[in-house]
Amino acid sequence: MIKIITILFIYINVIFAHSFNFTELRYSYAIDRSIQLDGQINFLKNGLSISYHDSAKSLRYENNTLIYKENNETIDLDAMQYQKIKGYFDILILLYKDDKKAYDGIFDIEIKDDKTILKPLGDIKEYISHIEMFKEKTKLKQIKLFLKNRDNITIIINDEI
Amino acid sequence: MMKYSNYFILLVLLSVGILFKDYIHLSTNLLSLFASKDAVEKLKIADNLGYSKELLIAVKGFDKESKSKVLKISKELESIDNILSIQSTIVPSYEIQQYYKKNYSVLATFNDANQTSKEIKESMKRLYDAQFTNIFYTSIDKNDPLKLFNLQNKINNTNNSKFIILDDYGYLIRVSTDVSASQMDKAKVLYKDIHFILDNYDNIVSFAPFYYTVENSLEIQKDVQWIIILSTIILLVIYYLLIKNLKLLLHTLIALSSSMIFAILVSTLLFENFNVLSLAFGMSISAVSIDYLLHYYFHNFYQNNVKVDKNVLYGYITTTVAFGIFTFIPIPLLSQISFFAVVSLSFSYILFTFVFPRLSIDKYVESDNIVQKSRKIVPSYIIFILSIILFIYSSLNITLDNNIKHLDYQNKNLQKLQLLFTKNNNTQLTPIIVQASSKDKLIENLHLLDKTLPSTFSFASFIPTKTECLLNQEKLKEYDFDRLKSIINEEAVSIGFRKDYFEDSYDFAKNTPSCDTDNFKLFESYGLKIFQDKEVFYTMAFVSDVNAIKEFSFISDINIKKVFSKLANNMYKDLLFYSVIVVVMVFILLFISVKEKILYAVNYILFPISLTLAILVSFTAINLMHLFSLIILIAIGIDYGIYMSNTSKLTNTILAIKYSILSTFAAFGVLVFSSIVALNSIGIVISLGVTAIYILIKVMK
Repeated sequence: MIKIITILFIYINVIFAHSFNFTELRYSYAIDRSIQLDGQINFLKNGLSISYHDSAKSLRYENNTLIYKENNETIDLDAMQYQKIKGYFDILILLYKDDKKAYDGIFDIEIKDDKTILKPLGDIKEYISHIEMFKEKTKLKQIKLFLKNRDNITIIINDEI
Repeated sequence: MMKYSNYFILLVLLSVGILFKDYIHLSTNLLSLFASKDAVEKLKIADNLGYSKELLIAVKGFDKESKSKVLKISKELESIDNILSIQSTIVPSYEIQQYYKKNYSVLATFNDANQTSKEIKESMKRLYDAQFTNIFYTSIDKNDPLKLFNLQNKINNTNNSKFIILDDYGYLIRVSTDVSASQMDKAKVLYKDIHFILDNYDNIVSFAPFYYTVENSLEIQKDVQWIIILSTIILLVIYYLLIKNLKLLLHTLIALSSSMIFAILVSTLLFENFNVLSLAFGMSISAVSIDYLLHYYFHNFYQNNVKVDKNVLYGYITTTVAFGIFTFIPIPLLSQISFFAVVSLSFSYILFTFVFPRLSIDKYVESDNIVQKSRKIVPSYIIFILSIILFIYSSLNITLDNNIKHLDYQNKNLQKLQLLFTKNNNTQLTPIIVQASSKDKLIENLHLLDKTLPSTFSFASFIPTKTECLLNQEKLKEYDFDRLKSIINEEAVSIGFRKDYFEDSYDFAKNTPSCDTDNFKLFESYGLKIFQDKEVFYTMAFVSDVNAIKEFSFISDINIKKVFSKLANNMYKDLLFYSVIVVVMVFILLFISVKEKILYAVNYILFPISLTLAILVSFTAINLMHLFSLIILIAIGIDYGIYMSNTSKLTNTILAIKYSILSTFAAFGVLVFSSIVALNSIGIVISLGVTAIYILIKVMK
């Protein structure tokens, strides 16, 4: 059941702007190594899009529809993956908007200085232990996702485009 | 003393009624009036399986606010009794997830091909490399790193988001309740509870079949109240302002009440399931007996010391014979109404004929001003020919409406809402009942359906057949998972994985779960249930095309519309057959009572019916209520035909008939103002019919 799981908190950006460069650090417990990826994320009116600097692949999630492209050609995602990505993008958008009221029923929030800790409630706690968000003034600079399988993903917001 | 006999009879009947009140059983199951025993049985099973007990709530829009509304509403709904489960996301419930976890090894398709060391090594290497090349973060499944197990799940296998979606409208909440459309009291409570919550939110629409029960009953109540007021006003006008005899009104009302109570007692004691609808209709037909009274009154029968008025007697006998024949029709509603009418008309005939002469009713004083001379110019044979032509025209243009739903109050708002929900893809599947002699066989049958129509949604979407499960178990037992795990762990370390990361791989496949499933309750939130009746097990399956699977003997279609249209067609046939017998009998009886004036008398039946029918078929499809009301017209026509043919004092007979027409209009005609199609249909037929009778009185010679 816990197959592909997860994916993508990668793309977390957050900050009150629309397009950002970001650096993603993935730590895989299974191989005890980290991988670094750089990319760009755009927050749209009803969704978001993501691309990586060293890859021809991109994802666009808008009006409840997810499109995955490689070299501008649409690639079919399997149903499970499609659904998971959409689910996580929803969370990503939620974090970007950082609307405390909208966290109600999804996360428990704990704020310590510039760090906000989100503890998942409901189904996603099966996969995510907790999320840490770091802010500079009101702007979010970094997100760390701690997964149940001991992997973790760090997203560092570099600059607004 | 005798002048109080009318009150005395009512009192005795009321006392008997109170004494026997425990024996009076009225059935409110309208289905049993129309549907065959088999169809009623099927619908009962469907009811037990939760069919048509689902409540759908749609939240407009796909934004964050809508999602938060969905969650809040779902939470608030949990507090309502009568709600069994709430589903707003396609994420399976915790229990279902546990079910998948526990039974994963037999639910998933297992690739039992032998894996060579080389193949295992290659797979593990790919898995390792993917950690560096995947654009999406993908976790490693340490339980099944080689992906030998593949679970296709119908619930997850959809392109929807986590939340259920209603096309392009917004998010959907599916609520299963234990209230069906036939449970008025429970429906009212639940309707109120749900609206108490939903009314606090904007942009929300909801629909459940029981909404019709609640909203329509409210409308029907309002409608009936206003009709009763109108009817009472007309009756008061007739008796008080026109006949100027309040005492007569009082006695008439008492006599009618006594007849109805008598008929209620007899009918409910004799019939096991006498229906409340038959009662309502029967009571209306009872009012036809006012004819007898008015004829007596205007001919001063109560002062003449004559024992029996032949005309009224003939009228009574003919009407009773007509309804007597209809008592044998195999349509319970019609046979019950007819039986009630026979009993009630007989009782009122006895009261008006033998009791009223003793009530000291004032003599009718003729007034020349009331009756104007009419010009009777059309011969009866012309009317007869015209009636036949109208019948021919009607038979050529008739269309029968066999959708019984059309008879109900047309709640446009709810119909629009229902359409919004039913046009959605998720709800377009048609429910059918599937049966078998055991639960295992039932699952097998469901899998057969699933193979024929892969889009079918049923227990087969979650539970394998016992044979399949045992086969999977066998495969798992025979497979050497220890060898597989040992190679995986060996290769993993050499490739670069953390030591012991795969130490538990494939352990889940060694402990196979039992194949004796009894997890049916888990799937109730998806509208799936099992119901056992004696030795037979029933469940529902939702299919895209009933025709494609109709050769399976274990399925039954529960499309109410279809069931009823088939029944309605049979009803029309029965009705035609019995109507022919009744018309022949009425002809014979009329001939006995009016002899050579038969054509003249029969016109009072044929002309109103043919004219009404011709007008109706020109504008609308004929429904069952139209036909029932035409039968009432026969009852009225018989009396008037006889009175007019054999009258000794034409002006008085005409006056009696005019008031009788007005009374009939007060009883039935006012229904023309009703917004409930069934009642409105009766009103139209009776109004047109009495107008036709009025024309006959004026012009036929």
